[in-house]
Amino acid sequence: MTEPEGVVEQTVRIEASPQTVWRYWTDPERLCAWWGAVAEVDPQPGGVCRIDMGEDRPVMLGEYVELEPFERLVFTFGWEEAAGAPSIAPGSTRVEITLTDDEGDTVLTVRHSGLPAAVADDHRSGWDEHLPLLVAAVAS
Amino acid sequence: MDEALRAVADPTRRAILRLVRNDERAAGDIAEEFPSMSRPAVSQHLRVLTDAGLLEVRRDGNRRLYRSRPEGLRDAVAFIDEMWSDHLSRLKHAAEREEWPARTRARRRKP
Repeated sequence: MTEPEGVVEQTVRIEASPQTVWRYWTDPERLCAWWGAVAEVDPQPGGVCRIDMGEDRPVMLGEYVELEPFERLVFTFGWEEAAGAPSIAPGSTRVEITLTDDEGDTVLTVRHSGLPAAVADDHRSGWDEHLPLLVAAVAS
Repeated sequence: MDEALRAVADPTRRAILRLVRNDERAAGDIAEEFPSMSRPAVSQHLRVLTDAGLLEVRRDGNRRLYRSRPEGLRDAVAFIDEMWSDHLSRLKHAAEREEWPARTRARRRKP
């Protein structure tokens, strides 16, 4: 049985130019300002995008698929195999980012597709561990 | 919700959830699957899972039967959704902080 594919889509308005926002997805130092503790990126098609959240947190391992500077970015999204880490296999889900200039601000849309839609299966475990960390990070 | 998250953060508890995903199992049965673990330790895991709403328990004579309660977990999509909203909020603040000084100067220059 094929499970239905889950998709998450979100849009946020950022009071910064698409050029600036773009760098937050491709520049390791800026990626660390919001996502991970260590970012290893090679922003070109086929290039690696590895975000280590540090400590016991899971490591996101992806690959850049498409890059249209300041407008559109696609990468694969998964977790590295590790004890207690999520079992969303690298390459199994896909994230598409679009940036639209609106009078100097940026309208950013993220579309994350290929997610397991079933409940309580193994794919879940990663997020179960991930989320409290995120909540803590946002609350701090 | 936090309680459910903490409950499934443990590999043993995830293994228990897998055991009872399709079958109702007695506590003793479940404990046998973890020979390296003491009965009280397994019972404690069962209690955590039950308290978190992830397991349903029913008594049959002196046995306690457990089955999973998947509706206790939110679906994966909801979790990813929450992850991105947290991440994007941090990204927004970081990018805005970076441009803020230049934007402030530009506004001041306007007549």
